[in-house]
Amino acid sequence: MRAATGAWTGLCVAVMLGGTFPAAAQESAGSAQGDVAVTIYNNGQSLVQDDRQLSVRPGRNRIEFPDVSARIRPETVTLSGPGLSIVEQNFDFDLLTPDKLMDKAVGQTITLVRTNPATGVERTERAKVLAANGGIVLQIGERIEVLRDDGLPVRAVFDRLPPNLRARPTLSVTVDATSGGTVPARLSYLTPNLGWTADYVALFDVAKGAIDIQGWVTLTNSTGTTYSNARTLLVAGSSGGGGGFRQLSGAMDMAGTESNSRERLGDYYLYPLAARTTIANAQQKQVSFLDVKGAPARSTYEYANRWLGSSTDPVSTASVLRFSTSRQGGLGEQLPAGTIRVYMRDGRGDPQFIGENRIDHTPMGSAMSLRTGDAFDVKVQPTVVSRTRKGDSRWVTKMRYTLSNARPEAVTVLLAQDGLHGDVRISDESLKSERISADRVEWQVPVPANGKTDVTATFDTRY
Amino acid sequence: MRALPLLLGIAALLAPLAALAQQARAVVVSSRIDDVAVTVYRAPARSGGPINPNWPQGFAFITETRTVELPAGPSALRFEGVAEGLLPETAVVNGLPDGVLEKNRDARLLSPAGLVDAYLKRSVTLQRTNVKTGRVVEQEAVIQAGPNGGVIVQTAEGFEALGCSGLPERMIHARVPRDLSAKPTLSVLVDSNAARTVTVQLLYLAEGFDWAANYVADRAADGRTIGLTGWVTVANGGVTSFPNAQLNVIAGRLNKVYSPPLPRSTPGSLVLKCWPMDITSTHPYWELPPVIEFDDAALDSLEMVVVTGQRRAGYAMAPPPPPPPPPAPAPAEDLGDLKFYRIPFRVDVSAKGQKQVVLLAKDNVPIEQLYAATLYTSAAGRPQPLTLRLRARNEETDGLGMALPAGMVSVFEMAGDRRLLVGEAKIGDKAKGERVDYDVAASPAVQYSVRSLPDPDPKKYRQWEVRLTNARSSDAEVEMLIPFALDRTPEGWERRGSAWVWRVTVPANDRLNRIFRQKLKGD
Repeated sequence: MRAATGAWTGLCVAVMLGGTFPAAAQESAGSAQGDVAVTIYNNGQSLVQDDRQLSVRPGRNRIEFPDVSARIRPETVTLSGPGLSIVEQNFDFDLLTPDKLMDKAVGQTITLVRTNPATGVERTERAKVLAANGGIVLQIGERIEVLRDDGLPVRAVFDRLPPNLRARPTLSVTVDATSGGTVPARLSYLTPNLGWTADYVALFDVAKGAIDIQGWVTLTNSTGTTYSNARTLLVAGSSGGGGGFRQLSGAMDMAGTESNSRERLGDYYLYPLAARTTIANAQQKQVSFLDVKGAPARSTYEYANRWLGSSTDPVSTASVLRFSTSRQGGLGEQLPAGTIRVYMRDGRGDPQFIGENRIDHTPMGSAMSLRTGDAFDVKVQPTVVSRTRKGDSRWVTKMRYTLSNARPEAVTVLLAQDGLHGDVRISDESLKSERISADRVEWQVPVPANGKTDVTATFDTRY
Repeated sequence: MRALPLLLGIAALLAPLAALAQQARAVVVSSRIDDVAVTVYRAPARSGGPINPNWPQGFAFITETRTVELPAGPSALRFEGVAEGLLPETAVVNGLPDGVLEKNRDARLLSPAGLVDAYLKRSVTLQRTNVKTGRVVEQEAVIQAGPNGGVIVQTAEGFEALGCSGLPERMIHARVPRDLSAKPTLSVLVDSNAARTVTVQLLYLAEGFDWAANYVADRAADGRTIGLTGWVTVANGGVTSFPNAQLNVIAGRLNKVYSPPLPRSTPGSLVLKCWPMDITSTHPYWELPPVIEFDDAALDSLEMVVVTGQRRAGYAMAPPPPPPPPPAPAPAEDLGDLKFYRIPFRVDVSAKGQKQVVLLAKDNVPIEQLYAATLYTSAAGRPQPLTLRLRARNEETDGLGMALPAGMVSVFEMAGDRRLLVGEAKIGDKAKGERVDYDVAASPAVQYSVRSLPDPDPKKYRQWEVRLTNARSSDAEVEMLIPFALDRTPEGWERRGSAWVWRVTVPANDRLNRIFRQKLKGD
């Protein structure tokens, strides 16, 4: 289709063949990244190390680094290489668009190519851009006119691109080189938008009282850049935070005290990926890291009543899955923070999803209780039977908890009464309780199949 | 398509020659689903309202069986035609003999903006057509900026913005970039010892599904029993259909954590923006003062009426059809602490569709008609209507005795020869053995009012006089909750929560007074 063209097209092709045409075209072959190593933390923060070969002249060089993360934190950039010392670093994110191109051309001369609508003949003239406010005001020779005032086609061709405007955010570093040649250099920076979590698939077998757990690392990359063929290291633990401020859930009953041979960084566990991998932009990638079969687990019911809590209708108890991460009788692994999804087999043996919950970073040897949902058939109806005042600062409260079980087998419910503030004594109870702490008391209540059990307790409160 | 660079990357470790690696890693596309089971879970936050048909807020667990031909060695297995709302972190692939190396979900999509993004700093062909002569001029150009905020190309003459000259211009790309795909796709990297045909199971959770239980209660002429029909309405809001699927629904509440939105493909739609295009003749129009909006309350209310009308038409679920003799539905199976309903026949779960199947059908369920209220002393003085309550017992001896999933109940009654809607009520999940109350409507015929009376010991006691009135020609059985401690603790009264349950019969066309003495200092 290279039909007969104007003289300028011929010129264009000639120039192309001449080889002076855009050097940028050569970048198309692939990424400008070198040997990339990525360390990914749980909090969506990542450390990228990029070893590139730079060709420098002796003295000052301005080096551009395309294909860095578009979300790079420029204050964390370091560049090191033999004989290189950094003069300045710039991260330019002023993006090149047509209106900025015109705006920066104010005061400069551009080329206009007009096409005669009747004959199709093209005419070229030079014009000076006087202003670009709302519309474009041009000076052509001695005339002043507005670009495309008559609505006829006019191509505006610019001689050059303005400096500092780029198609993509670009990092540029000015260095002093002691000698010329090719220098191995290491660029490292932190970037958000590249993070990981763990996802667990737990298949629970009630009859055997066991779970099979598979763990997958889920990487998510939305940095705008693909990291090709990268050595990848995952760090379980979030830098910053701690001190009990960010508890994800109450899944851990007791923190463990065991450890294994897994590599550590400070107090964090490291999970290196076995092979190099490419983490593409806008990709979610999963790699397996844990596979444990037949760890003991049991399903339990829990209900915690708040102080003076009562209900006109029975309330579902929580279904809780209990297991351990210890080496003896458990998973024998530490669990990075993530989501555990629990599955069970239905009557035909097909797995079905029965609930999920988040866990925090869990050391090995921890006792876990994972709340997966509400029990349909096991319910509690708490009643405040009476509250009697026995003086200025003393009350006697009678509670009744009616536990019902519509299942064909007997169950045991962990019933708790919370909020026992002040000096609370239990003066009378229908079932022996365990005082867990000053403000919580627990009963293990057996409820017969298709039956009900009442638990009554009298609390004597002084404050 | 998208998995290729990845394969490339890994293979490059073994053989640095990209071309070789590309040959080594085969791409296997699986687009046919042999068998599928869809288990739908209701939206956790939707208490009783209708399903949102645009994007149902529940989710589904989907089990697909597929047959794939695996070549020997490493390959990328791409699953096409999975549900739109697939949560990739939940995907499990079973049946691959040598396991899964990694799973990827890619969202870089083939689109106009995606093409510009992929061809940035690369060479394209620019084609201009002369409208008068029809002559086509082609020119090599390099995309220097885009796709956000407009496209700038570099030609031999200089730099130009695309689509700003008023001439017909278009870009021609040599080929589709390898890493752009038509749809978000799940792919897994596998390694097989030998070429073989395997049957794999792909299991995943997907958003954009929901189900609701709806009950139709037809009251018998004597008013003592109802015929109860339960319907399951299943909605699929995604673009993928699952024909001939095993459909299951799960009742009960389970814990579901928030899933963060998936990474999106970077560019949105391609908009060719230019510099300001104001010219001298357009200018005066831009100087017109803006039209000042004013509030028209009447118009607003009119609009509201219209909107509500639309909503009813668009949002409300199709009214349950009158029950034909339904097939015998299977009773619920226990799945852990949830209830699992297996639809006994194969159905098509269509894209953007809702479907209804029978959940249960029970005749001659005895009910008790009550008038219910809670005594609110703050409303002293004004008469308050009581709530018409139909009470059933979820026991086998009372015709039920099964798990009843939460949902809406529509109660119908015959008036003469016409079947009329009495009211609608919402019930929660009811296990076997529980009391089931349908609070159908407020009854203007049975009302109560309360007033306070002086008490000799006002520091310790207060007295309330409750007056019940019955304008019906039959007796009204009233159940009122008294939410405070009573002087002279009643004997044999039921407790519900912390309240006492006062049961009394108000004779037909009559009234009844009763004084309660409230203990202010506790029992």
